[in-house]
Amino acid sequence: MTASANVPITDPGVREFVLAFADDEHMIGARHAEWIGTAPFLEEDLAFCSIAQDELGHAIALYSLLGDDVDRFALLRDPADYRCCHLTERDTSSWDDALVRHWLYDTAERHRWTALLDSSLPELASLAARALREESFHTDHARLFLERVVAAETRHTIVASIERLLPEALGLWEPVAGEVDALAAGVTSTSSTDLGARWRTELDAALSDLGLSVEWPEPVAGQAGRTRRSDGFDAFLTSLQSVISIEPAAVW
Amino acid sequence: MKTYEVFIKKEGKDEFRHAGALDAPDPVMARLYAREAYLRRAEGDQFWLVDRDHLIVGDTDLVAPNADKPHRHNDGSLVAARRKRLRSEEPRP
Repeated sequence: MTASANVPITDPGVREFVLAFADDEHMIGARHAEWIGTAPFLEEDLAFCSIAQDELGHAIALYSLLGDDVDRFALLRDPADYRCCHLTERDTSSWDDALVRHWLYDTAERHRWTALLDSSLPELASLAARALREESFHTDHARLFLERVVAAETRHTIVASIERLLPEALGLWEPVAGEVDALAAGVTSTSSTDLGARWRTELDAALSDLGLSVEWPEPVAGQAGRTRRSDGFDAFLTSLQSVISIEPAAVW
Repeated sequence: MKTYEVFIKKEGKDEFRHAGALDAPDPVMARLYAREAYLRRAEGDQFWLVDRDHLIVGDTDLVAPNADKPHRHNDGSLVAARRKRLRSEEPRP
């Protein structure tokens, strides 16, 4: 990526907006990667972990818009300084939940990158174009896998999983305070509220195609999920830090 | 689950080459898995998948007799032996 006067981003609101996306990508990538070696068969294991690596790659690219020391910034912040939503950081101890989260998140992610294609930050616009080429595979994978699982006997557990995760998934669209600045500066073209509406329309169409009837939860205003960490976050962050904390000053 | 044989082709004049196999529930998923299992580091720009059930597999007994026909080989050993003998009999001045 070509260096530019725009990088690293200095505007605090825009930084927080980019950080929220970067932290989402970091957490979802790290959580997906927990399924290495345990996905139901080797080919799926490879595909799912490749998707995890793609998300981590997006996180690195977004973090690098905020500063040079990506590893330390990604891993060694105070928990209160993370801006991920609860859907991405939560533990999914069941494969149903991991798969459904992958579908909910990647469908959302495609809309988020699309809103950045014409960003006033050229680095972000070119990153969005690159990421979208990967995202079409991610959403294909999620949708095709879900279709096949739903066609089998497990459809009721999938519906239960979707209904379990939807309240947290709505938190994806609860914006950070800096989003107002990002919109004003043309860094993104579309508000979280509007993107969330597009996402919901797409999910409703997909659910209808799958023949699934799902109860949408009432949106809860003011969850402030992105500025308040969920219960398991500290333990998860500690596990992510387990290697870097051995020698934080090490040069790799 | 079905097994598919994977063939990949690099950009340019190279031919398709067998890269391996994979298991997938159907052809659509097989294409996604081939992308991740065999092509995620840009090993090629095209690929074929062949359902293993559609392969016509030759019988080893059909091929076996051909392993015992040394007269069809010319590895040059007879000529080399003759030249070696001639050299030792008529050393150069």
